[in-house]
Amino acid sequence: MAKKKETYNEAINQLREIVSEIEGGELDVDILSEKVTEASRLVKVCKEKLFKADKEVQKILENLA
Amino acid sequence: MERKEYSLFELNGLVKQSIRRSFPATCWIRAEMSDVRVNASSGHCYLEFIEKHPISGQLLAKARASIWSNTYRTLAPYFEQSTGQRLTSGIKVLVNVSVEFHELYGFSLTVLDIDPAYTLGDMVRRRMEIVKQLKEEGIYTLNKELTLTDLPQRIAIITSPVAAGYEDFMMQLTHNKRGYQFYTKLYPSIMQGDQTEAQVIKALDRIYLSVDKFDAVVIIRGGGATSDLNSFDSYALAANCAQFPLPIITGIGHERDDTVIDLVAHTRAKTPTAVAEFLVECISRADEMLITLQQQCSETTQALLQAHQNSLQQLTMHIPTWSQRLLEKQQATLQSLGQRLPNIVQGLLNEKQKELTNTLYQMQTYATRQLEQEKAELQLTEQFIRMASPTYLLQKGYTLTVQQGKIIKQAADVVVGATLVTHFADGTVSSKATAIQKKDSIK
Repeated sequence: MAKKKETYNEAINQLREIVSEIEGGELDVDILSEKVTEASRLVKVCKEKLFKADKEVQKILENLA
Repeated sequence: MERKEYSLFELNGLVKQSIRRSFPATCWIRAEMSDVRVNASSGHCYLEFIEKHPISGQLLAKARASIWSNTYRTLAPYFEQSTGQRLTSGIKVLVNVSVEFHELYGFSLTVLDIDPAYTLGDMVRRRMEIVKQLKEEGIYTLNKELTLTDLPQRIAIITSPVAAGYEDFMMQLTHNKRGYQFYTKLYPSIMQGDQTEAQVIKALDRIYLSVDKFDAVVIIRGGGATSDLNSFDSYALAANCAQFPLPIITGIGHERDDTVIDLVAHTRAKTPTAVAEFLVECISRADEMLITLQQQCSETTQALLQAHQNSLQQLTMHIPTWSQRLLEKQQATLQSLGQRLPNIVQGLLNEKQKELTNTLYQMQTYATRQLEQEKAELQLTEQFIRMASPTYLLQKGYTLTVQQGKIIKQAADVVVGATLVTHFADGTVSSKATAIQKKDSIK
């Protein structure tokens, strides 16, 4: 089951949250790698929105009246 | 009475003469231009002047007019330069005309001069009136209050597909350096002339049907030196734009003034290219933010790990030193205690000895003082005893009187005629008492 992709704003806000958590310096080292993995995933999601053509959006706009 | 007959030509000739007599000079008239056409080969401009009822808009007057090419060649650029507005249908002008009547072509006006200040004033007044109305209705700032998403990628475009502006816009947008993605859909509309207002509103209505599929609406129009802005100073169009639920970005391509549409739009750019640049810039800002976050993420992670590592290393490094130091410290305490012990004891002994000496001394002093005091007292008593003895008193001149072997202490005890023996220190004298004088008794 594919997880529903978050919007750009959701993703960037989650990313901000993670960065500020790490900056706080009180993160458990065990959790750190988990958080960093999640952060890279979010960056990827955001980058894709910026650079990768979303066929679905294109199709929707083409089919608009 | 003789009936007067004219040929049509004669009649029209008379009308012509009559008009020429009535209007010997040129005159200035205020009117709206309509149906403006320029003959491409001759360069003459043909139009109609009209006047509408100010409230009902009903047509009140109409006259054919022409601007001959030699006049038009200078007049049109002069007007456009002064007002930023093309000489076209729908605008109000103050023109200097000669009134003509031609036997064949009938009544017409020939334009000789134009006063751009009038048109400019009219445009400004009209724009201000629309703005005032929008403000009164509380809708003037509505579109400005909308938030443009951080990533405005899905763009609805209202423009004329054949205009250069559209091409410029698409070129700028799709060939952006970083290769950001945009999704555009064109909603075609005429962008100048009478139909503009209605067609742009129609395009907005179409976009409204799929409002959730877009991030922003772009209204653009091809460059060109001058433009026909009149259609954009429209209340109906402005009210539609102001209340539209998506941010509207305009690039209507005018250097001098903002039209009412520019004023109510969320964002106003000068040209279609500038609108595209603005959108690319938005994405670029989002991109930079993303890069910053990414860097922050890796930097802070590294810093955090480094900090953990450092503290671990420090801990490991310090264990021997710390334990060594602890041992040394305790040893030193012990040693110093051992060294200080004799001193402490000696001190204590000295102190006690001193106390003892003091007490002894105090005791001696006290005893001596006591003895001396008692000696003095004894001497005093001795002196007192000495001074109280009868011998001492007799020597001082006091005498002792005895009558019949008893010591007389008061005159009353003496019997007259009795023999008194008076004792002196060196012997006794016997005498006879002859009289007794008593002192007044003390009450």
